Amino acid sequence: MKNILAKFWKSYSIGVVVVVVGIVLSFLTPRFISLDNLLNVMTNASLVAIMGLGMTLAIASGNFDLSVGSTAALAGCVSFSLVPSIGVTASIAAGLVVGAVVGLINGLIITELRVPAFIATLGMMTIVRGAALIYTDGKDLYLFGQTEYKVLSGTYLFGIPTPILFAVGISLLLGFIVSQTRFGRHILAIGSNFLAAQRSGIPTSRVIWMIFSIVGATAALSGMILSSQVLTANGRLATGIELSAIAVVVLGGTALSGGQSTMVGTLLGALLISMVNNGLNLLNVPIFYQELTVGVLMLGALAVNIGQGFDIRSILRRQA
Amino acid sequence: MSVAEQTKSSSFENLDWDVLWERYGIATVLLVGWIFAYFFVPKFSNPDNMLNVIRQSAFVGCAAVGMTVAIISGTFDLSVGSTLALSAYLGVMVVSKTESVPLAMLTTILAAMAVGAINGFLVTRIKIPAFITTLGMLYIVRGLSFIISKGGEPVRYNGKAFTWWGNGSLFGIPTPFLVLILSALVTWFILTRTAFGRYVFSIGTNNNAAKVAGVPVDSTTTWIFIVVGLFTGVSAFLIGSRLYSAGPGLEPGFELNVISAVVLGGTRLAGGRGSMLGTVAACILYATMGNILNLLHADAFVQRVAVGLVLLLALSIEGIRQRLFERASRQISTVDSEANSEDGKEV
Repeated sequence: MKNILAKFWKSYSIGVVVVVVGIVLSFLTPRFISLDNLLNVMTNASLVAIMGLGMTLAIASGNFDLSVGSTAALAGCVSFSLVPSIGVTASIAAGLVVGAVVGLINGLIITELRVPAFIATLGMMTIVRGAALIYTDGKDLYLFGQTEYKVLSGTYLFGIPTPILFAVGISLLLGFIVSQTRFGRHILAIGSNFLAAQRSGIPTSRVIWMIFSIVGATAALSGMILSSQVLTANGRLATGIELSAIAVVVLGGTALSGGQSTMVGTLLGALLISMVNNGLNLLNVPIFYQELTVGVLMLGALAVNIGQGFDIRSILRRQA
Repeated sequence: MSVAEQTKSSSFENLDWDVLWERYGIATVLLVGWIFAYFFVPKFSNPDNMLNVIRQSAFVGCAAVGMTVAIISGTFDLSVGSTLALSAYLGVMVVSKTESVPLAMLTTILAAMAVGAINGFLVTRIKIPAFITTLGMLYIVRGLSFIISKGGEPVRYNGKAFTWWGNGSLFGIPTPFLVLILSALVTWFILTRTAFGRYVFSIGTNNNAAKVAGVPVDSTTTWIFIVVGLFTGVSAFLIGSRLYSAGPGLEPGFELNVISAVVLGGTRLAGGRGSMLGTVAACILYATMGNILNLLHADAFVQRVAVGLVLLLALSIEGIRQRLFERASRQISTVDSEANSEDGKEV
């Protein structure tokens, strides 16, 4: 019985935390539980979640992508600027292509130049950010009178805003890919033991190119949704979001050591952070407490998760 | 080091060049760059300009010295940017209230060391991986500095005795640069001549082996994070003094700048190897690039691209060399090339 409980907690702890926090918040401020507010919370969560879902793939393969914030900015700006000339659909496609190409370059640097992913994407983070700023000349881009671009953020399907649908759809798709396809098994194999994967004939380079292209495309989608929400874009879009994206993945329960992933966890991780931020706003807590809470949540979740095999006596012994 | 790698190192061509590049590569690039800039970039050779470049290098440099120790031991610290903001804020606040510079220095450095100690505690006692611990602390400490400042108003102080540390000179050399050189020398001495230094290298090379061999891994790791805090505090003090002020939003993204300087300097993220000379040279190189691009009227956006390109270029040289070596040796024997591809991935 104890074993079953432990197992349940290990797989669903983030879900339990989300439910508990939700109940507590709805007692503290009744407004929290209103449908409008909940949709608002989920929409905010899906921005980081979409990026985080791609990042989950990268982390499952034992890599990181620090360039996602810059990729989001570049893709957002490029697609935004193309709307007047080629229309909304084509420009969204162009944004996704830009993201995938940046990701592919990341992958090529990692496999062909043998730069560790952390450094490769760190370098690309500054390069792509510079490229986005050069592309926009440091200015804000606006779309006057053309509100069709709002399709990415402002439309509803069955009463649900599109960003939420994107987040859920992508999590289902990527979850399916990881658990049901050969490509997914290759990702996990690379993440758990790169050398073994290589020796057993997995085309590691190609898999890494694919992973980073997907990460780039999801980052691009996040960036485009972000710019469509406010109908402006500039080169500073999504600055510093890369670490939030990693935080969401970690909070969701994907191990940084690779070889394992949970898409639902990532969604819930993003939801948790968004819920807490929203709750603090409703309770009139100053905005700068939000960062503090994100950090505490992360360390708390991790400390509890690691606590599975953690023996309190070892601390006591050492101190005695 | 695998057996295959050892046999390979006997044929001098492979390992020697990698080690040479790792230790002295960036310093050489820097030297060549300065000679080139001295003759070809207008106004660079002006002594004031050159002194300004080395002054500028020290603000990231001091924190990078501490980060070098952490990366040699195979971990790193993402919280340095937030720590910088918090400790600089506290330091400037203290000096503006008490007018006592030593007290401000002490506050700044102790506050940063305290954050380091908390990092160390979480990593060694609660066993949260360093990446996540310091990522969490990045948010917590940044939030804390906003809370202490009640929402972001910077504190200011412009007493001469305080601003001298960031803006003054001693014997014609900028004070921050002297602080940087002193920090680097002391740290390098500790790393190479003391038991603590040997522990740092052995933990970075192989954590488990170090533990088995009796290295006090936990206490050493805690001290490493405290050292990172110490030098972040030094940077914070210098930056506060340089700007006459400090706000809670100081230097976002500082942590990644620091890490990229250390890595550019030839210290490996995998741990176990590193070069303090390289770290200092890399910081000066970044400052020099910024300065040259400014003198050439390149806009700030181009500078970002250049910084990233230099990092990628420097870091890919080893990989490219390995690939070329592999291609050459594949024709001779397949065993050798397999061993090679193996340590190529370990980098």
